[in-house]
Amino acid sequence: MNQRSLRMTWLVARRELLQRGRTRIFAVSTIILLVAVALGVALPAILSRGAKPERVGVVGGSPATLAVIVKEAGRLADVQVTVVPEPDVATAKAALRSGDLGAVLVNGVEVLVKQVPIGGASSSGGTLPGALAQLAGLSRLFDQVPAAAAAAANGIALPVHGLIAPSGTLANRLTGLFTVVLVWVMISVYGSQIALGIGEEKSSRVVEVLLASVRPAQLLTGKVLGIGLLALAQAAAMVFAFVVAGFAAGSSLVHGAAIGIVLIGGVFVVVGYAFYCTAFAAAGSLVSRQSDVNSTIMPVQLPLIIAYALSYTVLYANGANAFYHVLGFLPPTAPVAMPVLYAAGDVPLWQVVVSALLCAAGTVWMARIAARIYTRSILRTGARVPLKQVLRRDLAQA
Amino acid sequence: MTTAELEFDGLRRTFGTVTALDGLTFAVPAGQVFGFLGPNGAGKTTTMRAIFGVASLDAGQIRWRGEPVAEQARQRFGYMPEERGLYPSMKLLEQIEYFAMLHDMPAAAARKAATHWLRRLGLGDREDARVDALSHGNQQRAQLAAALVHDPELLVLDEPFAGLDPGGVDDMSAILADRARAGVTVLFSSHQLDLVEDICEAVAIIHHGRLVVSGLVADLQRGERPRLAVRVGGDPGGDWAAAMPAQLGEIETVRAGTVLFALSPGADSQQILDIARAAGTVEHFSFEARRLSEVFRHATGASVGQAEAEHAAAARAAGAPEAGGRTTAGVTR
Repeated sequence: MNQRSLRMTWLVARRELLQRGRTRIFAVSTIILLVAVALGVALPAILSRGAKPERVGVVGGSPATLAVIVKEAGRLADVQVTVVPEPDVATAKAALRSGDLGAVLVNGVEVLVKQVPIGGASSSGGTLPGALAQLAGLSRLFDQVPAAAAAAANGIALPVHGLIAPSGTLANRLTGLFTVVLVWVMISVYGSQIALGIGEEKSSRVVEVLLASVRPAQLLTGKVLGIGLLALAQAAAMVFAFVVAGFAAGSSLVHGAAIGIVLIGGVFVVVGYAFYCTAFAAAGSLVSRQSDVNSTIMPVQLPLIIAYALSYTVLYANGANAFYHVLGFLPPTAPVAMPVLYAAGDVPLWQVVVSALLCAAGTVWMARIAARIYTRSILRTGARVPLKQVLRRDLAQA
Repeated sequence: MTTAELEFDGLRRTFGTVTALDGLTFAVPAGQVFGFLGPNGAGKTTTMRAIFGVASLDAGQIRWRGEPVAEQARQRFGYMPEERGLYPSMKLLEQIEYFAMLHDMPAAAARKAATHWLRRLGLGDREDARVDALSHGNQQRAQLAAALVHDPELLVLDEPFAGLDPGGVDDMSAILADRARAGVTVLFSSHQLDLVEDICEAVAIIHHGRLVVSGLVADLQRGERPRLAVRVGGDPGGDWAAAMPAQLGEIETVRAGTVLFALSPGADSQQILDIARAAGTVEHFSFEARRLSEVFRHATGASVGQAEAEHAAAARAAGAPEAGGRTTAGVTR
């Protein structure tokens, strides 16, 4: 590239930056995204910190013993508890209905809650009523079977050992989900903007005036560069908001592996955008009316949509299947699939690097095909240009 | 005629089975308003696009001041395409400034030139308006501003008079004449041959991608056989002309009692006057300019309208879109 070529490309990119960056929709969408990221990170931490202690009513039995059981259940369920002695069951039930009490332990033999959650109270071991029911049951067992207490002292549960190390935690998986949603949204939103922008240049015919002084390659490069810089700025602002909000709220997300997932997501926004931007440009150049753009970019978006839809099966299962592993290395699906695999703890970091490099290499290949399509169809007016025609050299002359 | 600045040499281009340019050759002199005329489908737009490399050529060469047109020279050209186009949502001043910068003008100079041309074209109070908020006439002026803003040495306008009202035609022709006086070579195309014959000094008329005639408008209107119009009183049929010897010229037509002769080269018009006076009172005797459409018909044997219909039929037969929805595959540089 000579100096003039660089200048032309930059002028085109600069126009995109100025025209798009100044619009109200860009400002509003950036603010909404940043607020959403900050809330998504900070809200759970703030809510758990400010949580009130759970009030548990106690009726009958030995208040001291029952208080110990309630406190222990609170510890197991990771909830602060307050023991509230109640005179009788009727009063306790009224307090339960009014929401004053979270649960009531009756005579050490029964646990009352306002509504039993779907799946049963005791099956949900992590909840306060569940823990309460198990501990109270255990206490009653010790009362009735004296030998049981001795057995329990030696431990009643059998040890559980896994064959492989535990994969990503729930927090990491949720961060992974959040990350791929952003990767997917960024690539499709900004990709659509490229296609719509090129559709606008073609349908308004301004492209012929432009091409009288700018080469098609410069126009194409400048366009994806300008829109890409905007996307990059927005993605960087979101990662920044994630880190700042996380530290400010004391979220566990920024300390563990989650920050790595977010950074890898950032890398794949860049690589994925680079891979897809020229494809969106080529799709935009095929139409002659802006309203047709949506139907031509659908096939371009399809690989990402598939990878995104399948990502839920990986994030909610223990271990991705071989097919999803393959998607993680194919350039069209890697930008979404690889951060998912990494978040789920299914791939080591070096595989992420290999996938990113493959995607970057695919970018070159995609750019060459897309530039050819773009150059051949950008000045063709009339009906939508058939893809087959612009790809075949001999027919393209017709 | 001054020396040629812009030369078209043997241009050839086919789109499938349709031949757009078939060895087109002509030259445009410096500092003139030059009309590039012919029926729709004759190959004018393809030729103009080829100047800017927007359409590729199968063969032939376009030269500017003796050198094949290259990117650097194109920066000094201004172009108004047949399909007008500006960014609809961009503000007028920013847009014109942008086009100036794309022609290598520094930012400050671009802003100054854009302001100057918008004021000059009567759009000074619309600088901050979006282009799609402008009236049709103002959009046309904005398009012209985009072609003029970088003070080009060559101005190429494809059908600049299409869709203009008579006032708009006068404004446009005044601007073109003004640019030519400023030393700019102005090349514009039109399929309305008679509309523009008073606007340009010289023309090239093409048909089927080939040159039909080119030269000064005055010379073409006169032709090799100048037209003499003679009317004799009391002879509405022009019957007196039957007595005229064939070597003097031939009768083209009789129009409301006026006989139009195509004078033979070297023939003496006074001999015809003598014959007319012998027949009766001569009420009218003058040389008459031919319309450019007549020049076209005389040279091709078809009227402009017939030629356009014929082209449209050929394009349909070839499966290509008709004029207005034409295709230009391949941008080559």
